[in-house]
Amino acid sequence: MSEMWQEAMLEAFREMMRRTALFFPKLMALLTFLMLGAVIGWLVKLLLIRIVKALRFDALCERMNLIPTLGKASVRQPASHLLGRVSFWVVFLFFAFMGVDALDLPATANLLKAILGFLPHVVAAVLVALVGILLGNFSSEAVLIAAVNAQIQGASLIANLVRWGVVIFTTAMVLTQLGIAKEIVVAAFSIIFGGIVLAMAIALGLGGRTIAKEALERRLRRKKTDDEFTHI
Amino acid sequence: MSETAWDQVREQCPHVDKVDLLVGLPTFNQATTAETVTKSILAGLKESFPTLSLLVVNVDVGSQDGTSEIIKRTVGNLVPFALVQPLTEDMRVNPFAVNRLSYSGMPGREEAFHSLFAITERLEAKACVVIDASVRSVTSDWMTLLGQVVLEKGADYVAPIFQRRRYEGSLTNSLIAPLTRALYGKRVACQTGGGYGFSGKLASLYLQKDVWTGESARFGIDSWLTTVAAAEGCQIFQAFLGAKTQDGKATGADVAGVLAQAVGATFHYMERYEDVWESVSGSTGVPEVGQRAQREAESQAINVERMVTGFRQGLRDLLPIWEIILAPDTLAGILPLGLSQEDDFCFPLPLWVQTVYDFAIAYHERLIHREHLLKSLTPLYLGRTASLVLETKDGGYDEVERAIEQGCQIFESMKPYLAERWRFQ
Repeated sequence: MSEMWQEAMLEAFREMMRRTALFFPKLMALLTFLMLGAVIGWLVKLLLIRIVKALRFDALCERMNLIPTLGKASVRQPASHLLGRVSFWVVFLFFAFMGVDALDLPATANLLKAILGFLPHVVAAVLVALVGILLGNFSSEAVLIAAVNAQIQGASLIANLVRWGVVIFTTAMVLTQLGIAKEIVVAAFSIIFGGIVLAMAIALGLGGRTIAKEALERRLRRKKTDDEFTHI
Repeated sequence: MSETAWDQVREQCPHVDKVDLLVGLPTFNQATTAETVTKSILAGLKESFPTLSLLVVNVDVGSQDGTSEIIKRTVGNLVPFALVQPLTEDMRVNPFAVNRLSYSGMPGREEAFHSLFAITERLEAKACVVIDASVRSVTSDWMTLLGQVVLEKGADYVAPIFQRRRYEGSLTNSLIAPLTRALYGKRVACQTGGGYGFSGKLASLYLQKDVWTGESARFGIDSWLTTVAAAEGCQIFQAFLGAKTQDGKATGADVAGVLAQAVGATFHYMERYEDVWESVSGSTGVPEVGQRAQREAESQAINVERMVTGFRQGLRDLLPIWEIILAPDTLAGILPLGLSQEDDFCFPLPLWVQTVYDFAIAYHERLIHREHLLKSLTPLYLGRTASLVLETKDGGYDEVERAIEQGCQIFESMKPYLAERWRFQ
């Protein structure tokens, strides 16, 4: 009885040691990947910051009005540092996923493959979002200046509508790109967009008919008013 | 285009190898004025240059109303004549240069001038006079004033000065001319269009310069002819040409567009000629020819209230943009202006000059998109113009002239502010 007990204990211990011996290298691989990810990520971050600074990326973002937009989202770092941080985390996560894959656990099997398969969608979505933000800011600024110069009351409102229009459109595109609730996004966007256009058409048709008529008359007949800035 | 233009001239005038004076007529649908203008030119040539070898070149950029036929018929056999018409793709209007089209009021104007300069160079002409066919008020004197100065007095560039009503040309008077004067040290009125005189040397210089392509090509030719001549140290004369009555002149409907064109060209050439203007201090007058026209005390119809409203709206809505462009002390000076009553509204000259210099520096530093920057200057310009009108409302033409001269002097005296910040911002 005592022998059997001993044998069982030893067998369990041996099995445990064998499993540990098998798992330990995988764990070491995970830790090595994490360390490598941190070091390489840091190096990539440093290198990228230097390159984009040399290319005057911060000034470019300032010109594109990206910094104030990020400021509104409580991101108050220079764009180059932000890009550096993002690059660090991308590299680090890449290595971390490799480490997790190296553990060879049933739950994490094919994790890296799945993530790599989804990565192009994420990259495309990030690019679409970036272009959308830039386009929204640029269009909004252009509309604001044009409306102010035309002395249209509510210029800021028009500019904000343009910005949010572009942002909503971009958000819909990003979500579609990521495949998140595709059908709902398309339906919601169609309803919102169609609703806005319909509301504007009704508002103009019922409330602003006279103004629209006068504006069209002025434009088409090129009626010259006395207070035009002809002295320029 | 230039080669094609030259080929067309060779084909039509094979016997003309060299001329003393080339007269250029860039046209586009100007049938209503073409005959009058051509007759005036012919009369001027007959009066002033009866013995010179001449060539009249009409560069027509695609008229559909028979303008070139009218000119050809009017010239007849009186003087050698060549018609240059677009045959190549090059002469088509650049679809991206919308501002340029609206500013000059004529598509392909730059290409037409380029052709005329190229023909001038090929024919080794001593002088080239370019007259706008859209100007109804061209007289025979114009040829004398624009051509003779080049041929007999050694001028490189003859800029036009027109009889103007009080406050007319306010953008030129309050910004372009004072800035050009402060930068390059030449007291030029910077008026544009109508007619110009060029020496053969200057025509060749324009051809050599990189002003026909790239970013420079975004600006209408009238906005940089004087600037480049002044910056290159050419011998500039000014000719009093009387009144300018023009068809299809840009109206005040698009103030921001005109402002962006004119100011943009000045700022653009500030970058190109920074080594030139940084070393210039003070200014000298340029020789003038012709009779200074009687000044008209009558002013343009100016709605001061609308200009002040425009300024206030700019202050309210464009403040975030101005905060990026303007220096803190400039902005601190501008902010209280929004509170003053319309009758007491005063945009002080030093503050205006500082504002213009801040915009020039911001343009140079590319702080925001350049077209947005230029157009956001419009409310400030309206504010300064309203202030000028209010300051001089009880005075006559001379009072306005004095205020403009004072502005020029302040632009000059504050130039160190610009020069210091230009390189070391």
